[in-house]
Order: sequence, then C-alpha cells, then structure tokens
Amino acid sequence: MRRWTVAALAALAVTGEAHAADFVALPSPLAPLSAAPPLAGGATASSEGFRHRVDARTTVDVSLDPDGTPFRISATQRLDVRVKGDYFFTIGAPVLSVEAAPGSASTPGLRAASILWAGFNPGRRRLIARAALDPAAASRSLPLRGEAAPGRITLVNATGVSAGSFTADAVVPPRRQYLAGLAHDVSRGIPATSGGALVTTRPVATKVRVAAPLLVTGTIGRRHVRFVLEDRSTIHAGGPIRLTVTPQDPTRLLRAPVTGLSGRQLLDRATRASLTLARVRQYRTFLGNPDATGKSRTTYAFRTAARPAPPPAVIEHHERRSPTVTLAAVAGVLLALAGAAFAWSRS
Amino acid sequence: MRSVLLVLVAAVALAGCGGSSSPSHRTPLTIVVNGPFSRSPYLGRTIENGARLAVQEVNANGLRVAGTTYELRVRTLDTGLSPARAVANMRRAVGQDAIAVVDEGTGIDASWRIANDAGVPIGVVFEGGRQIVDPVTRPNVFRIAPTDHGLAFRLAEYLIPKGLKIALMHDDSDYGAAGGRALATAFSRNRSSVAIEETLPADALDLGPQVLRARRAHATALLVWGRPATIAAVLTAARSAGWNVPVFTPPTGADPFVRQQLADHPQWVDGLTFAGGRLTAEVGTGPFLTFEQKYESSFGVDRVGVKTRAGRAVVVLPETAMYAYDFVNLVAAAVLKAGSTAPPRITAALNEVTTEGANGDQRGFNRNNHEGVVDDDIYFARFHDMTYAPVKDDPLSATLPTLPQTR
Repeated sequence: MRRWTVAALAALAVTGEAHAADFVALPSPLAPLSAAPPLAGGATASSEGFRHRVDARTTVDVSLDPDGTPFRISATQRLDVRVKGDYFFTIGAPVLSVEAAPGSASTPGLRAASILWAGFNPGRRRLIARAALDPAAASRSLPLRGEAAPGRITLVNATGVSAGSFTADAVVPPRRQYLAGLAHDVSRGIPATSGGALVTTRPVATKVRVAAPLLVTGTIGRRHVRFVLEDRSTIHAGGPIRLTVTPQDPTRLLRAPVTGLSGRQLLDRATRASLTLARVRQYRTFLGNPDATGKSRTTYAFRTAARPAPPPAVIEHHERRSPTVTLAAVAGVLLALAGAAFAWSRS
Repeated sequence: MRSVLLVLVAAVALAGCGGSSSPSHRTPLTIVVNGPFSRSPYLGRTIENGARLAVQEVNANGLRVAGTTYELRVRTLDTGLSPARAVANMRRAVGQDAIAVVDEGTGIDASWRIANDAGVPIGVVFEGGRQIVDPVTRPNVFRIAPTDHGLAFRLAEYLIPKGLKIALMHDDSDYGAAGGRALATAFSRNRSSVAIEETLPADALDLGPQVLRARRAHATALLVWGRPATIAAVLTAARSAGWNVPVFTPPTGADPFVRQQLADHPQWVDGLTFAGGRLTAEVGTGPFLTFEQKYESSFGVDRVGVKTRAGRAVVVLPETAMYAYDFVNLVAAAVLKAGSTAPPRITAALNEVTTEGANGDQRGFNRNNHEGVVDDDIYFARFHDMTYAPVKDDPLSATLPTLPQTR
C-alpha cells in the first residue's frame, strides 16, 4: 500500500512538472443509468430518525408464450429487516395485486403504483410479498429478450444502455489501484464506491455502451444451457424455455491483466467497469431496496407457459321468429280485438 | 384626482384577485362526526375536538381544488350509542352532502351501506370489531383505532409466556362481545392458559359473584374486555375481596371513568395494565406533545377528576382525538389527491395517501388494508398513582417514553 502511495506521489510529481494534473470524478458504480430498473422509482423508507438494515432478495417469474413474449410477470420479494424500530417502506412497482407469501411476518399493502410495508420490527423481521405486475410495464425492464424462429432462438441481453463518459490520459498507478480496489470490493460483495482520476490531458466526452453480464442457465427444449450472456447468442434448439437469469459482476473486465496498459486505456477500463457495475446493480434491484446500501439480489425465471384462455364470449340468443309465426300472432290479436268490439256493440 | 381614484380602484380590484381567498369566499365542505354525545360524552366530545382541530388547521390555508377554494366544516350528530340512531344519522349526513363521516363505530354494520351508496367515506375511530372493516365488501369504511383482533393477539402474545392462568371476561355490550370473540380466537391455540371464560352483564354494579368464580377457577390473572364501567366493577369486586390479582384490559382500561369510579381507592387502580395504540413514534414525544398542546389551547385540558398522591391533577391524553384528527387530515389529503370533492373519488383517493399522524407516525390506508393502526403499534401500559407508563417487559413498549399526565 505504502509502495503504491509513494509511486502515485512520484507520478504526480513527474506529471506535475509536465502538465498540471486535474482531478476528475469517475462515473459512479452506484448511480442508475436509466429510469428503470428498479421499477416505478424504486423503494423508499420513511425513517423516523434512524435507518433499518435491509437485505432484499427478489425472484421474478416471467411466463412466455411460444414466440417468447412475456404475458404474465410476478415478483416475490423477501426483505430481511434488521435494527429495532418502526418501519414504513414503499416499494415502487406497476403492481396489479399483492399478498403476503408464506413466512412473512406481516401483510403488504397495495397502492396504485407501490407495495407498502408498515409496522414495528422487534429486532429482525422477514417481510415477503408476492406481487402480480403489469406485464406491459414490467416487461420493458426485464434483462433478457428472446427472438424465436423455427429450430432456434436468439437470446438478447436487454440490459444494454449508452452512458455518458469521458476519456483522457491519466496517471497510471492510481488507475491500477482503483481497478484493484473495485475487483476487491466486488469479490467480497461490498458495494463499490465512486472514485476519481488524475488526468493529464483535457477530458473528452464520450458515450460508452455497457450491459450487465447475465448468467443464463436452464433448458431450451431438451438442450441444457449455461453461459454468460454479454450481448446476444443464438441457440439451435426449439421447445419450451426454462431459463434462470442472474446478473453477474463484470469479473472478466475487472480481472483482465492491466500490465502494459496506458493511463488512457486504464481510465477507459475503469469507467467502463464502474458503469457496468452500476448497470448490474440496477438489475439486481428490480423492485428496489428501501435500504440504499443493503444487499440486493434478483433472479429472473423465464418459463414457456400457456396463455390463460380468454373468458368465454357471451353468446346472446336472439330468438328469431319465423314470418309465419309473426303473421299468425298479428292475426290472432286482430281477431281478439274484433271479437271484443263485437261483444261490446252487443252489450 | 380622478387618475388617483382610478389607480386606487384598480389596486383594490387587483388585491381581490390574490391567491388566498378569505374564509367568507370559500365553498364549505361538510364532515359529520357521528358520536355518542349523550351516552358517552367524553368519547363523543374528544372525537369532535380531534376533528375540529384538524379542520382548523386545514382551513388555515383552505383546500384549493380545480380553481375553487374550499373549507371544511364539522357537523355533529348524536348516536346515543343506539345503532338505529346511528343509521338515521348516516342518512342525514348523506342528505347534507357530507364528504366524509368520522364515526365512533356504533351501528356501523348497517350504516355503512347508506354511506356507500353515496360513495361517502367513513372513518371509524373507536370500535375495533373485526367485521367493521373490509376493503372488499365495505370499500368506504376505514378505521384509525386499534383493532380488537390486534389487541387480543398482542395481549395473548404478552400474557401467555408469563405462565398465567387467565380468566377471560367480557361484558355483553357490543364492544365486549366483539372483544370476547377476538380473545377466544387469540387464545384458541393456548387453551391451557385459560382458567375460565365468563360473560359479564354490562349494567351490573356488583360483579362479585363472577369474580369469585374466576378465583375459584384458580385464575392468576383477569383479562377484562368491556366498557369502562365493567372494568371498574371488576376491580372493585376483586380488590374489595382482598384479591390482588393482576388485571389486564383493552384501551377502555385507560378511560377516565375507571379512575373516577375508583377515586376513593386509588391503590386499586395500581397495577392495572391495558393495551392500546402507541401515542408516540420513534422520533420521540415531540409530535404528540405538540398535538396535545394545540388540543389544549383550542379546547382546554380534559381532566380525569382525580389527583396523584402528591396532589397533582391528572389529565386525559387525547388518544381518540388523535385518531379523529388524523382521519380528517387524510380526507383533506385525499381531496387534493383526487382533485375533486366528489365523495366516491375521495374514497378512492384515501387508498393512495399518507400523512404524518399526530404522534409522528406515518398514517395511511391502502387498497388491501383500511386499518390506520397496525397491530404492531399496540403497546402495554401499567397504572401507578393514577397515571400510566409503558411496561418494560414488551419489546415495543420498552422503547416508548412516558408521557406527562399531570398539571
């Protein structure tokens, strides 16, 4: 550590003689890169002067029709709440209905675009909600998309997004150190924090396309699959889909050798890693976590299923009387009237 | 001179176009308080006062909806604890175009339909019977008060681990009968904790025989669910017989009537433990004390009519008033959320709003739950010297501060 510091200071001193090194902030590995996920603005906690520690684990069940279109989405979220005291959590979601799942210590409330939890936590509380989500709204935030064709299916990583970044020449040792720090935090499950860089040239704004790597496991028809999906992949198989998708840390990016890379290359890698971590974090919090620093995990389960049959059409029975019957009825009425008139004239 | 006059006229006209309208230019919206003013005056008055306090605060700025400024007005109707009168009152409330009804709860099983036909929301602030609130079948009924179900389960959760043999006693009033049912459910899985179950006549002055039966059943605790008079009668019967058995009650144990009845024997009240809705939130006593101060400034101090041993007058904490206050504030928030004063739209919007309650807690309903006091918010307090303090042997209660109750 001391050696790194000395090296960094030395580098600074050297570059300081050539160009004044500027400190610039790197993209945050925590800030979302798009409005969703988490859905509907995420989760909030109306705290009363203190903060609960909350770990959130969510399973998203997606039912697909044969052409791969989601038609039913439900989410089961388990909140493990610690720290004694009152809680009032709002979990944003395009929710159609919600109920407590087995094992929940309380019952969730339902509002137009959120799930509510309120109560007193005596020390530790497990809150489990199973919610039916509006597929039209929720499917836009799913990480995987399937494009089915006869005998094959193309799986598309749908987490890709263009993010604003910058490039510049940077002082090398701190960049290496920052990347090593990111890899260390990620391997230990610690939320990565933002960093900065000493740049020796003027930063130039760029756009970077990043996506959360997805671990895809399961079966397509009879074919077993297990791979990390970064962009898209075509599987030559057909039949029902049973896939589990889990966002992964960008370990390939973080563990790649850095020897021989220039300061600019290291800076590019650091910003990309940081942005990718931010994207992974988004897809790990599909329903949001009321504790912004709590651990969040989301697993997506895609299954081919039969669409529910539409409600049977109401068949209206219109009795169609034949013209003969109608004529006979009219004649009968006329006869009755004539008879009545005759009887009246005689009375 | 003429130009000066013109400028003055223009200035006056412009001033009239200002943002805040004076109360005289506001359109009134009626909130009805349907309470037992003649039969249970303290309860009726405290509900009315809570509603009036919220109305005062809402009217300070008015409710501005679609270009019109509204102000709330309170009308009171007396149920006399009679379901028939409560129903007739509800018809009047609907006839008077009330936008909401704050209700003690008497007769609600019949009156809710009348309000529902007009889409008028009802906020029950006292009765805790389970059947009163059901978001599916009674979409216009909301409640801010501890539920019987929650009270009974919290009492069971608190008492069963103590290894007591409990006499479950309830009176035959509507309130007592509903509580009896809740207790039966709460203790159904722990029958070994129950020594005896008894129904008490609500109007009896002497409950000596019933208390004696509990003693002969080897009860080591009495759990009494009834009107304040019943609780006072049980305490009198037990203590006058020299039986110092611990007595537990729902919130009616804290009703001033119990202490008034036992004013000559203050030591008989010592140890009485009741379950109730918490009056303070995590943020401390601040919000509730502020509410209490505002309440006392507007309506004066509600004195119990007894004194501590040190000679200090004991006052009533405005718990039920707090619930009425919170409901009216939620109605005001719902009017703004709905952007309409049509009762059906206010009822729908009540599912979507949250306000900060008088005790600092978040208060609100949702589509699945029309209860404004969650079971977790029920705490236990024990009397000593005519005032009470949260117990220390319950996780929630142990976190709560003691509120001053003397002046």
